[in-house]
Amino acid sequence: MNSTWTIAQKELLDLRRDRLFGILIIFLAVATLISVGVAAASFRTELDAYNLYVQQLSASGSATVPAAPLLFPLQLLRGGVEYLEILGALFAIVLGYGTVAKEKYRGTLQLLLSRPVGRFAIPAGKVLGLAVVWLVVVALLTVMTTAAILVIGNAPLQGIDIARILIAALIAWVYLVFWSSLAIGVTALSHRLSTGLIVSIVVWLAFVLIIPQIGDTMDPDNQVPGGLFATLNILKADELKVLANFAGFDGIRNGIEVSSVTKHFERLSFAFLGVKDKYNQLPIGLVWLDMWGYAITLAAATLASVTFAVGVTSRRNLQRKIS
Amino acid sequence: MKNLAIATGNLSKSYGSKLALDALSLEVAAGEVFGLLGHNGAGKTTTVNVLTTLLEPTHGNAEVAGHSVTADAMAVRRAIGYLPENVQFYDSLTLMENLRFFAQLSGLSRPDQRIGDVLRILDFEGQERQRLGSFSKGMRQRVGIAQAILHSPSVLFLDEPTSGLDPEGVRTLRETIVRLNSEFGMTIFMNTHLLSEVTKTCTSIGILRGGKLVHQDTLAQTLADFPGEDSLEQIYFQLESEQVS
Amino acid sequence: MNTFLVSARHEMLNTRRARTAHLLLIVFIGMVIASSVIGWVTNQTVTGIYEKVVADGLTMAPNPFTGVTPLYYTRNAVIYVLLIGSLMAIVLGVQSTLRDRKMSTADLILSRPVNSSARLIGQLAGLGAVLAAVISISLSVSWVIVSIINRAPLGWADTGRIIAFGLLSWVLLMTFALLGMLSGLRSKRETTALLVPFVIWSAVAFVLPQIGTAARPVSLLNPVPAVSSTGGYFDVVSAITGPLSVTEQFKRASSIILQDSAVTGSATPSILILLAYLAVMTVIVVATPRNRMRSGLHE
Repeated sequence: MNSTWTIAQKELLDLRRDRLFGILIIFLAVATLISVGVAAASFRTELDAYNLYVQQLSASGSATVPAAPLLFPLQLLRGGVEYLEILGALFAIVLGYGTVAKEKYRGTLQLLLSRPVGRFAIPAGKVLGLAVVWLVVVALLTVMTTAAILVIGNAPLQGIDIARILIAALIAWVYLVFWSSLAIGVTALSHRLSTGLIVSIVVWLAFVLIIPQIGDTMDPDNQVPGGLFATLNILKADELKVLANFAGFDGIRNGIEVSSVTKHFERLSFAFLGVKDKYNQLPIGLVWLDMWGYAITLAAATLASVTFAVGVTSRRNLQRKIS
Repeated sequence: MKNLAIATGNLSKSYGSKLALDALSLEVAAGEVFGLLGHNGAGKTTTVNVLTTLLEPTHGNAEVAGHSVTADAMAVRRAIGYLPENVQFYDSLTLMENLRFFAQLSGLSRPDQRIGDVLRILDFEGQERQRLGSFSKGMRQRVGIAQAILHSPSVLFLDEPTSGLDPEGVRTLRETIVRLNSEFGMTIFMNTHLLSEVTKTCTSIGILRGGKLVHQDTLAQTLADFPGEDSLEQIYFQLESEQVS
Repeated sequence: MNTFLVSARHEMLNTRRARTAHLLLIVFIGMVIASSVIGWVTNQTVTGIYEKVVADGLTMAPNPFTGVTPLYYTRNAVIYVLLIGSLMAIVLGVQSTLRDRKMSTADLILSRPVNSSARLIGQLAGLGAVLAAVISISLSVSWVIVSIINRAPLGWADTGRIIAFGLLSWVLLMTFALLGMLSGLRSKRETTALLVPFVIWSAVAFVLPQIGTAARPVSLLNPVPAVSSTGGYFDVVSAITGPLSVTEQFKRASSIILQDSAVTGSATPSILILLAYLAVMTVIVVATPRNRMRSGLHE
């Protein structure tokens, strides 16, 4: 454990001095802040339009007042979660790749391997180091976005909201560790270092962008702008009845979606933050009852990824031809 | 008048505030094998980089094969061959594909006949379709020579050509250099650390120290000028120490 | 043979031999083909749903898919060009210029009578030929699949539209290949060389459109461009970010070319913007100083 922690500390020190890492995290933070700002601006625009409409109505002598749009502060985080889902995963790959690639490029790998360290100390140290890094980054992003909701969004937060944000942060941390570990393992397995990065990115492309996109594309309701059922003037109850006849197709569609770990992260985060209307304002216990399956699969996927990284980052794989 | 293959006048090169070459003036006659000696960081590679037009000098001028490296760089590039230190190639391409690429860039429109001749000279027959990734260090160095002489240059620059080679590789390379000079009349300009190789290969030498040329003469004259010393190594260290003191 | 042609041929040969390039090419071609099949299966299902709804007497509305163009099935190719194609072009571009710096073969090349601009344009032409081949293969197969789904070969007009979409895709991918080449020439480390264009791509594809339209990042994975929010802030910002969002411009022009009913208007401004980016990037890359092409890596 001692040498594992020593290696983890070295990774922390290395990343603290790495300009590229700093740039990536700043980029992620700025994108997340922008998303909160844009969501808040979008709500205000909606509110302005509503107020104008109400004014026009009262000017025309109408007594009916339509319901005002409601602001649910945690829904402002939707864009931020999606940035973590897409860009966070990409940056996690880059950091995971970097921890192995740098040792090979600099020739420090031989210095490490010639030390009396255990079989798993090097990969475990690297995974641990990155897990700590992501913990710190997620903590900073959480504080920052919470402040952004209060200041930019001008929205009040209750104690329960903070709890929901912390749960979402934990989910994000597990998700990011998944991608960093995967990249460590893939890079250790690759003969050429750039291949390790490119293969990891192809996996990212498939799981983060392509599979969820296919699932979305196959959704019958997404085939017509404004929604198929809305265009046909069909009520929700009838919609469900009709769709029951196409359960096979929907099963395949959902199957494609849930084959991506990203979808698990997204559904979990959206449920706990109440981004998805079905879970909005629902007590955390009830959300958990509905979502625990996703929590288990996300945790299992991350555990598998960490095991993969620690398992394949062996002396033999690391010492393959360096190019 | 001597027919000069290389002539530099007050040639200087700075990297920022660091002066790598300091008013270098040297002459190499056509047909010579010239060895440029010096410690690490003395400016040997910078000299070759300027003479091969890879770097522009900060001050002064140099002529290679009668062409200015600044005013007529393209003509210099047509006239020279160059083997960098630790040469590398496109590993996924075959020997033939690598050489065809470099030959065509040197202006040979139908290079296969010439590549065949060069491969015969360097003992590569039958290996044309092998990928470079499978070649040993010694073989790569000979491929390096091959790419440098494809277009029959009049001046050949070799930067630490024996670096990393085993004794057998060193001997093969030495024989190749001597043959290129004697049979094909190429002027050869070589940077090296190995004084024993200089004695066996070069006809003239120069010694660089801190970017300055501290000695230049034929090898025979250099040895004659130091009657008390019985090896080039002793002369080299004496010249070095004179400058220090 | 001149530097331009030699460099172009050499680039094609190198790409043919690079296994990672193969991986990306296969994923790209596979997904463009798959997009036609997915489009067809989904359309069959939606038609089935409509027929069921009508049979149950739940609607009198006409089938929203009546008269849908056969090119509808290729609409997802737009998003795959943008996602997979762009990243593939970046990787190919980075490798083309970084290769010679990494292996120091740049010294072997530049000590020859080679004009550095001709060399770079030649490399770009080689990449252009590779990208053109990849786009041609995927869209040709796509044409066959759509013809099968349609139970008749696509007519000249639709074929022309697919060709126009292919050309536009080529323009976009060349722009990203140039971004990759530029990064390969300018970066000090291989990781940075690959990463910087990826980050720029993600900023262009996700952040810029979001600032201007309030579209969420995941919704930008749809093949049709994001609809701009209206209102004071968004009217001003989208006027600035709109032309900069090169991927949204590509979606817009492609949707119009492929007759997606969700997008209306003229494709010309978007096409001109894409061509302008290609021209600017070409000038920037070709003007790279000779020294930069041989500068070593810090790894």
